[in-house]
Amino acid sequence: MGIGLLMLAGGVAAGLFGSLLGLGGGILIVPLLTIGFGLPLREAVGVSLVCVIVTSGAAAGVYLERRVANLRLGMTLELFTAIGALVGGLVAFLLSERILAALFSFMLVYVAVSMARGRAAEPDDDGSEAAEPTAQPFGLVLDGPGYGVRNLGRGVVGSLGAGVVSALLGIGGGLIKVPVMHLLMGVPLRVATATSNLMIGVTASASAIIYLLRGGIDPFVAGPTAIGVFLGASLGSRTAHRIDLRVLRLLFVAVLAWTAFEMIRRAIGMAT
Amino acid sequence: MRAPATDDLERSVARLLTVGTYASIALLAVGVAAMVATGRSPLDHGPGFDPTRLGADIAALRPEGFLWLGLLFVVATPSGRVATSLRGYLRRGDRPMAVVAILILCVIALSVAAAIGTQA
Repeated sequence: MGIGLLMLAGGVAAGLFGSLLGLGGGILIVPLLTIGFGLPLREAVGVSLVCVIVTSGAAAGVYLERRVANLRLGMTLELFTAIGALVGGLVAFLLSERILAALFSFMLVYVAVSMARGRAAEPDDDGSEAAEPTAQPFGLVLDGPGYGVRNLGRGVVGSLGAGVVSALLGIGGGLIKVPVMHLLMGVPLRVATATSNLMIGVTASASAIIYLLRGGIDPFVAGPTAIGVFLGASLGSRTAHRIDLRVLRLLFVAVLAWTAFEMIRRAIGMAT
Repeated sequence: MRAPATDDLERSVARLLTVGTYASIALLAVGVAAMVATGRSPLDHGPGFDPTRLGADIAALRPEGFLWLGLLFVVATPSGRVATSLRGYLRRGDRPMAVVAILILCVIALSVAAAIGTQA
């Protein structure tokens, strides 16, 4: 059972790091399972999707209770993330492991560079404009208290892309959804983050169903990993305010850079 | 005066997400405990999903039974959240959001159909 404990501990670390840095655990679970435990990439993506659903579920409940997440906006956009995830989940079984590894390494490099440049805005940074109620198609009312939602069409396109990426790489897709909602649609960053978290469940489940029914999820791997990630994310959310994130961020960038290097080696066939 | 209805709906959805998540984790934890008890390793490769065996596996306290049930709870909880929202929007007569909720459930149903249809 040593392997099981290691997997659980790895899940705790992935959930803890992800939670402390606001990235979710998905970005670390796939490398953990492929590089650390030798799982095929596609199987690791399936397990990662299960983990991101679990971690987002509890957090989304809290965000809704506190009325931070915009349920109406989240549901409207997740219709399109789910469509993207359905397509991505089917495409994932058509692509080779090497192409998936290349896509994953691109994503890791992007995140590492973004974090190294410190481009991510702080949660209190409210880039939205207090707006008049915004008219949406089909009589939808998506505005929240103190902000209007604009550019729904761009949000739909971004959501489709986020769904495809989530299904292919086993991540929550917040890397795309949060900037789209905040920068293009005028949603305050705190609300965009919470709403993105709310959307993860439906998005990831649309593709996790495909992985599950097509044999892409091993229950013996998913069980310990999901529990570990859940525990790590819970611990992270309780300790984030006590930790100096600057050092952690640098460490994380180094981990991402090394992981990207390993994934690139897999993509070009230098590692299995 | 929509605020109270909105509060009720969001509270119901939040409760469902919390209960669903903790129930999933509890089932997975039982499955992992059964793995430990039976000396199974995560690298042993668990059996594929077979709904016809689920009841028998759970009755026999086999780890895969609890793990698969936990995984089903994980995957079904978001759909349950959408169904709860649908019921709330229908009660309030919010037709646009009810249509959105129905369409989301259709996409998820399509995922199930596509997965079954493309199984090897």
